[in-house]
Amino acid sequence: MNAETVLCRCEEVTREEILEAIAAGATTVDGIKRRTRAGMGLCQGKTCSRLVARELAQVLNTHPAHILPPRPRPPVRPVKISDWRCNHEG
Amino acid sequence: MKADVVVVGGGIIGCACAYYLSSAKKRVILVERGEICSETSSSCDGFVILQSKSPGIHLELALESAARYECLDRELDCELEYRRTGGMIVIETQEQLAVMEAIARRQEAGGLPVQMLGPVEARRREPVLSRHILGATYSPLDGQVNPMHVTLAFARAAARNGATLMEHTPVLELEAPGGVLWGVRTNRGFIAAPAAVVATGVFAPELLEPLGLEVPIRPRRGQVLVTEQAPPLLTGVMLCARYLAIKYRPELAQDASDPGLRLGVGFGLEQADSGNILISNTREFAGFDKNPTPEGIREILRYATRLAPALEHLHIIRAFAGLRPYTPDGLPLLGQVPGTQGVWVAAGHEGDGVALAPITGLLMSQLVSGTGPAFPVEPFSPGRF
Repeated sequence: MNAETVLCRCEEVTREEILEAIAAGATTVDGIKRRTRAGMGLCQGKTCSRLVARELAQVLNTHPAHILPPRPRPPVRPVKISDWRCNHEG
Repeated sequence: MKADVVVVGGGIIGCACAYYLSSAKKRVILVERGEICSETSSSCDGFVILQSKSPGIHLELALESAARYECLDRELDCELEYRRTGGMIVIETQEQLAVMEAIARRQEAGGLPVQMLGPVEARRREPVLSRHILGATYSPLDGQVNPMHVTLAFARAAARNGATLMEHTPVLELEAPGGVLWGVRTNRGFIAAPAAVVATGVFAPELLEPLGLEVPIRPRRGQVLVTEQAPPLLTGVMLCARYLAIKYRPELAQDASDPGLRLGVGFGLEQADSGNILISNTREFAGFDKNPTPEGIREILRYATRLAPALEHLHIIRAFAGLRPYTPDGLPLLGQVPGTQGVWVAAGHEGDGVALAPITGLLMSQLVSGTGPAFPVEPFSPGRF
């Protein structure tokens, strides 16, 4: 993995940008998300949140298990608005 | 530790205060119990809407604040995604039409250009709108910004001015024996300071009530939905007339049989620079619970697609909720806590925190420095309740 490796594919955020966000003061996965958009795309961080947590753990010199996961947000996968309304209206 | 001013709270208001105070050469320490921009300021929409402000001093402040946004990205050296897109308040019923005509006239008298648009003109500007709407009010001065960029940029600029930012530092107590502030006790030690600005939004009551100030700020939950990134679908920002009515008269939402109305569901639309559309909003009193709810999401979508059916083919990728600091009269608390010397408060903006952040920071800096604010601040007096 090098600086140009894309960690968040949905929002095309590179490892270097993640490290810059940490250097700029982000101390959580959500803090990195707010600075870089990593985890804000279509998959909502399903892939990248662990990669981002690993980078953060490395800089903070701790185990990735000690990094707080990002705040979970519904829905689990993208839902078309018309489908959502059909399924919820009795 | 010593400071001229301790700012408590690292949301958009606290960071704005830290920036303007440090620009006025004050030695500032900002303390935030979590991370900068991790509560309300990162769980909200980005509206800088002037039409939603009450005509009078509230609107006056908002106009001044919006003018500051025009040059804030250069001043803070950061892209804030501020755009004066123009904005509409969408009108659905004859009753709303009459109310909005009256508000528009008062706003025009207060210095905000507002025009009434008929249904054809409203739909020409915003083709996503439904054919059944009766029209809209329109102001070219309404706009939007990225609130997270603003909050973080204020914090960074304050730090460049020499301010110290202390995150993960909860305040345990404001020490003010006899009402005179000595300093602020935190989990990381005592900070001696003759002045403190409490800018903790919905959490302000817990710090101020021990000093004898009754603070009627209550958390009001607002749920927001985010769509996938889409090509440009919206020209500007939009709210609905019903949402404005509920803001000033919460009882309108209380005894309603309509579940959407009970949740204070309004219609807010904004397309961020990224292309994601933010669909909002609820106004609910649900304590400090900031989770979105199935009922809230359903009612927001039901109402939004009634007013803008063209949204139906988009996908929702995220739902979130934030706690807006509600006050009974819809105005923030800005000023010194009565009976104290050095304890200041800047909180209670409800949904206006983003729009009013620059002017709030500037005003608080002028008040605390004793250089005299350019606006009459009595209507915002913390002791008015």
